[in-house]
Amino acid sequence: MSVETASPAPAQPAGADNRIVVDGAVLTWRDLPELTLPEPVAALAHSARYALAAARHHAVHGTELLLSTASRVDAVLREELRAAGFAVAELGPGTAGDGATPGARAAEPGRLWLLTSGSTGRPKRVGHTLESLTTVRGEQPARTWLCPYAPGTYAWWQVVTLSLTQPGQNLVVVEPDQLDDWPALAAEHGVDAASGTPTFWRRALHRDPAGLARVPLRQLTLGGEPVDQTILDRLREVFPTARISWIYASSEVGAAIVVHDGRAGFPVQWLDRAAPGRPTIGVRDGELVITSPYHGAGLDGPVRTGDRAQLVDDRVLITGRLDADEINVGGSKVSAGVVRDVLTANPQVAWARVTGRRAPLLGHMVVAEVVPIGAGTVLDEATLVRWCADQLPEYAVPRRIRVLTEIPVKETLKSDV
Amino acid sequence: MKELSRAQIRDLMGEVLKNQGKALPADDAADLREVGFRSLDFSELALRVEDATGEELNFDAPGLRRIATVGDVLDFLVELQRQ
Repeated sequence: MSVETASPAPAQPAGADNRIVVDGAVLTWRDLPELTLPEPVAALAHSARYALAAARHHAVHGTELLLSTASRVDAVLREELRAAGFAVAELGPGTAGDGATPGARAAEPGRLWLLTSGSTGRPKRVGHTLESLTTVRGEQPARTWLCPYAPGTYAWWQVVTLSLTQPGQNLVVVEPDQLDDWPALAAEHGVDAASGTPTFWRRALHRDPAGLARVPLRQLTLGGEPVDQTILDRLREVFPTARISWIYASSEVGAAIVVHDGRAGFPVQWLDRAAPGRPTIGVRDGELVITSPYHGAGLDGPVRTGDRAQLVDDRVLITGRLDADEINVGGSKVSAGVVRDVLTANPQVAWARVTGRRAPLLGHMVVAEVVPIGAGTVLDEATLVRWCADQLPEYAVPRRIRVLTEIPVKETLKSDV
Repeated sequence: MKELSRAQIRDLMGEVLKNQGKALPADDAADLREVGFRSLDFSELALRVEDATGEELNFDAPGLRRIATVGDVLDFLVELQRQ
């Protein structure tokens, strides 16, 4: 006698029953659309719901996956992905991956690809796995996390893997058209933990501080851009009892630095301290160098991050990208990040960007753009110049300061400061 | 191309100096060292001219020259707009 047994259903991830709020609907990971994906696949999501569905599909099936928003991948990049053997699948209502042509090579099981902005401006692929992207381990307090990031980015995967792999970690997804008013959405759904760039937080403080204060946040995380003391202090005023952390993470080296003491930078004692399973952080010629167990494929060993690190008293401050941070004013070197921190420390300034501008005699001059804290605040260029002159050497003082009405932001939630 | 007059450039020069807590004398022959108008101020003035006209100035065009007085600065920038 023979007994027919049905194939067992594939194992669902540990967080499958966590609550997800996406596109106005409250559901769980189990309720997301079922996808039929070829391998290897570059999945271009047209909505957050389908991006989450692709992440769950990977967690269940181990499909080799590169996930991105459709808007980030232009025609040239699509061709590059096809040439690299990927099937390109559009994911959205009515197109759940089933019509895509199979990939042109054998899949690498478990591989996840991230698109990261390369130094040439063209996105490049960095290889990871769900394991290497899951950096929060151990039992965590139950939280409802805000996810404001664009699908497929390193920061998005950080929040998504947390909810996928840990019971009790719910997710409230912010769609791009909800970015300006996310505090209302977050308050409605009881978000008590949120991660965003300093620009993301500055915009929230700038637009509606009272609305932000209504979100019952117990954990605030900042990352993706230099984190200065002023933004930490302003968030502390609104959330006096919450834990406020900043994190240094990238597609290349993973989450490498996490600081919870409410101060900008990290203690100098952390430099060159080797410990099993933990990243080693160093500064070489003013550049942050990281050796991390969470690195992307092929990036083991010390990785030069391209970020500028400065030792100030007992802290190491990360001030910005090396190629953009240094401004040469007539032979004197100015850190744009240091000038930016001076400007944002002014109580009337909500946001600032500092750049070098071509100028006669000196080669470059320091110039700035600022956004005042409120619509009624009048910022006077001469007053700000004097504010900077009191704290900076003469050559570092921005002489042209343009006042903007809104904090500019890109899909990455960064301002490219 | 919009071009600033000598008088308009003079007004901008006055603003640059005022922001530094200094005053622009009425006499074009005034010595820049005595006025306290230095490289940073000259560069700022050039950027202000660029912002006002919406055109980038080509500083390589006229070659080097001696700029010692207020009048020299004004003449130089008037000429530079025409390069």
